Amino acid sequence: MVNLSELENDALVEIFNIGVGHAAAAMSEIVNEEVIMSVPSITFLNRADAAALLGSKKDGERICGVSQHYDGAFATEAILMFPEDKSLEIVRLMVGDSVPLQELTEMEQEAMSEIGNIILNSCVGTLANLFDSELHGSLPLYHVGTSAQIMSSFSGPDDAVVLMLHIDFVLAKHQIHGYVAFVLDLSALHDLKEQVSRYLAKALGQA
Amino acid sequence: MPDAVHRLSLLESIIGAVNLGAIVLDETGRIVLWNHWMARHSAWSADAVLGRDFFEVFPELQHKRIASAIRQALRDNFQSLLSQTLHKAPFALYTHGAAAIGNEAQERMQQAIAVTPINLPGSPRHCLIQINDVTIAVGREKLLREQTMVLRSQTFSDGLTGIANRRHFDVAIEREMRRAMRNSSPLSLLMIDIDHFKDYNDHYGHQQGDGCLIQVAAELAAMLQRPTDLLARYGGEEFAAILPDTDAAQALQMAEAIRQRAAELRIPHEKTGNDLKHITVSIGVATQHTQHPHQPLDIAALIGAADRALYLAKRSGRNRVTVQTT
Repeated sequence: MVNLSELENDALVEIFNIGVGHAAAAMSEIVNEEVIMSVPSITFLNRADAAALLGSKKDGERICGVSQHYDGAFATEAILMFPEDKSLEIVRLMVGDSVPLQELTEMEQEAMSEIGNIILNSCVGTLANLFDSELHGSLPLYHVGTSAQIMSSFSGPDDAVVLMLHIDFVLAKHQIHGYVAFVLDLSALHDLKEQVSRYLAKALGQA
Repeated sequence: MPDAVHRLSLLESIIGAVNLGAIVLDETGRIVLWNHWMARHSAWSADAVLGRDFFEVFPELQHKRIASAIRQALRDNFQSLLSQTLHKAPFALYTHGAAAIGNEAQERMQQAIAVTPINLPGSPRHCLIQINDVTIAVGREKLLREQTMVLRSQTFSDGLTGIANRRHFDVAIEREMRRAMRNSSPLSLLMIDIDHFKDYNDHYGHQQGDGCLIQVAAELAAMLQRPTDLLARYGGEEFAAILPDTDAAQALQMAEAIRQRAAELRIPHEKTGNDLKHITVSIGVATQHTQHPHQPLDIAALIGAADRALYLAKRSGRNRVTVQTT
């Protein structure tokens, strides 16, 4: 669906790894404990396949999402997503609280929003920085629902493409898998690809 | 343009009247707006801070998340959220105002903070810091947790003795270990075992054995005064005491007091096989002091050390306290 050369793909994976590395350092600073984050791979999917990928384990499983809108050099809706039980785990590991309630409380939802805010701003910030361009970012919004509900709650054409990052998150010996989805319309996708090839041309030119 | 002037003074009045803190920084990080709410809840009036560098006024926030949030707003045009849950109360603000400052009993207002870039036509980017008082919401959730804890305590207490059970111990040791690591504070663990308890049961019967466990558990639990201390029934006649913020010397002192208290109960025990004809306990003490903030948790090592100490106490004659350092 999206023709990215191996080199372009590797460049994006590397850029996102730098981004989540910054996010992990910021989170580690908050909890005074080691936090490790990495992006092992990225995939381009259509919206329905993206929802299916997230919901594949159990039908109707609830997902927690934190979204931010960015516009500028390219426009995208960025969404950090974890299965609901994993979000509970992350927040409680971060907070160090041992009275787990059934769902995230209001204050915990806000903490989850902040975690999303840190991760998304770091990813997009690194991207914008390396592309030498600027994006404007919104405040995070918290969502909970099935993956299909969350993926369909963002406006955009049906042919929108989802750039999906697999994220590994390690805190206090717990390993948690999550996703960051960038919903891109075709012009945003075009802009992104152009930015990647410009970046590569510059990087290779200098080398 | 009287309309523009009117609009400006209207906006100023609104900023002054809103029920949230508003601070605006210019592109160099100097404070250019400090609303009335900030003046009311902090020790600083607008006159005292306007024109000054934000980190000169708040040096303690220099390497905190708010510093990177401000940087991201000014440099990258990004907005950031600082949740109360992860940051509590970064600013020295008080719900009941400046009068409370210096009053030790008064706790800081709990804060939710948003940092937003402000793009003005024809001038460099500014940054708005909004502060919300979420003290009431925090209190409500605390109550919810406490009530949940009460409900759950029924599954967390030992059916016979009423003190914490093994499950409660497992949760508590993990929580305290993490807390100790974050605060770089010592954590001690006592393993307490009733001496010759099998012989007691064989001689007096299980009902009286149960009575002995109940009495010893109640006495020992009463000795742990601090709310974070926890006495749990670890197994049959074995108890464990978690002592946060307690170094090795303090833990040894506590263990010795517990050993003496158990002996003072003078619960008769004919079959000790020695001269002491009453119940005694042996105690193993282990303490972990985390020097490195990022050192991984090692609950097993702490429990193992306390177990070994208990074993040594048993082997060297019982009714004594032995210390192991991890």
